Amino acid sequence: MTAALIEARALAKSFGPTPILRDVNLSVEAGRGAAVIGANGAGKSTLIRLLAGLSAPSRGAAMLFGDQARSLKPALRRRVGLLSHQSFLYPNLTARENLEFYATLYGVDNARAAALQWLERVALGAAANARVRGFSRGMEQRLALARAMLARPDVLMLDEPFAALDTDGAALAAALVREALSRGCAVLASAHSANALEELGFAVLTLSRGRLVRAEILNQRPGAARPLARQVS
Amino acid sequence: MVSSFNAVLRKDLLLEVRGGQSTVALGTLSLLVLVVLVFAFNPGGGEQGAGAAAGALWVALVFSGMLGATRAVSAESENGCIRALLMSPLDRAALYAAKLAAAFIFMAVAEAASIILMVLFFNLEFDVRVARLVPAVLLGALGFAALATLLAGISSRLRGGDLVLPLLAVPMFVPALIAGVKASAAALGGASLGEFAVWLKVLVAFDVMFVAAGYLLFEYVAGEE
Repeated sequence: MTAALIEARALAKSFGPTPILRDVNLSVEAGRGAAVIGANGAGKSTLIRLLAGLSAPSRGAAMLFGDQARSLKPALRRRVGLLSHQSFLYPNLTARENLEFYATLYGVDNARAAALQWLERVALGAAANARVRGFSRGMEQRLALARAMLARPDVLMLDEPFAALDTDGAALAAALVREALSRGCAVLASAHSANALEELGFAVLTLSRGRLVRAEILNQRPGAARPLARQVS
Repeated sequence: MVSSFNAVLRKDLLLEVRGGQSTVALGTLSLLVLVVLVFAFNPGGGEQGAGAAAGALWVALVFSGMLGATRAVSAESENGCIRALLMSPLDRAALYAAKLAAAFIFMAVAEAASIILMVLFFNLEFDVRVARLVPAVLLGALGFAALATLLAGISSRLRGGDLVLPLLAVPMFVPALIAGVKASAAALGGASLGEFAVWLKVLVAFDVMFVAAGYLLFEYVAGEE
């Protein structure tokens, strides 16, 4: 069994007296995808923030590449990509300048050329020299996706990757995720609905009352709107 | 590390040129301080005038320094960019160095304008005495930028952080402030090089201490969440 690139071990997080996550265990190996779904406020974004090393857990461990996510060395941080609720984009820089800046930080060769290539890939080539401040929410999401992936990370964490995207944008995002999986990237994504991620072959886990449960597809009755699912711990 | 430092500094300077908020605000603030103090002190010439001019210059430096350092750090608060920087391979020390350099440049530009206004408002001459002022002001700007950048990293995450920064920064800057005012008054008053150099050494020591402290501590300040 290949080693997990993303791992949560008895992970728990509380804000004051309020527990958000309780005893969460998951692991994602190279080339695999896991989708965490749940209602608003279920803790999906908190889980991703913990695994990205942006927040300290109250208990347990958040691991990337077998190391604590909070204290990754720069060489490992270079291999992690994150798409968050916040876009991480500078509003007064152009789309190209934003990508070029991050490409430089991540040590991407020929940062300018890489930025222009990725702008074409997310269908923002025509807006390369436009400032992000004037972007629509969907354009910003595409650019943020490009920012997360331009260094070809080995670990990718996507917080609601299809949010604000139109049909073309969603298809584009799915294609990029599929490509990342095929080159061995471990992908953890959160979403309200698992449909698009299931089509990509993601294992679906539900966050409920701070705990992670697995949803198995049992069978599908002819004519049923959705497959039946049973939640198991 | 050098390329990352350059990238962050270039980005900050580009944002400032595009926005222009900090430099205009710093220049305006410096002008306001100098105008108020020249009318408040109504200085004559000689040593009294030199002392008043030096004091006014350093008041302008402290106010502009707080604004400059806050802007340099808060530029990352939009859209959560500071989180992206912390997640990236960017060395925390390089991030501090770039923020310090940006704050220093903002302050240096504002101080250049302040010195010109000071010479005009306090009826001084653009001569060797003003030239001797420059190293004292630059050292003071560097020290304050180092201190304020580190403290801005803390205060940016606090409720009411804009109030906390001056409460923390100004008392800690007092030794350098005293040295800076004394050095500037000595320079403008035509005092001996020896008397001037004593106060410069205090500024150098302050700068070394707080640049080193910021370099070592910024990753802990910026990384907490």
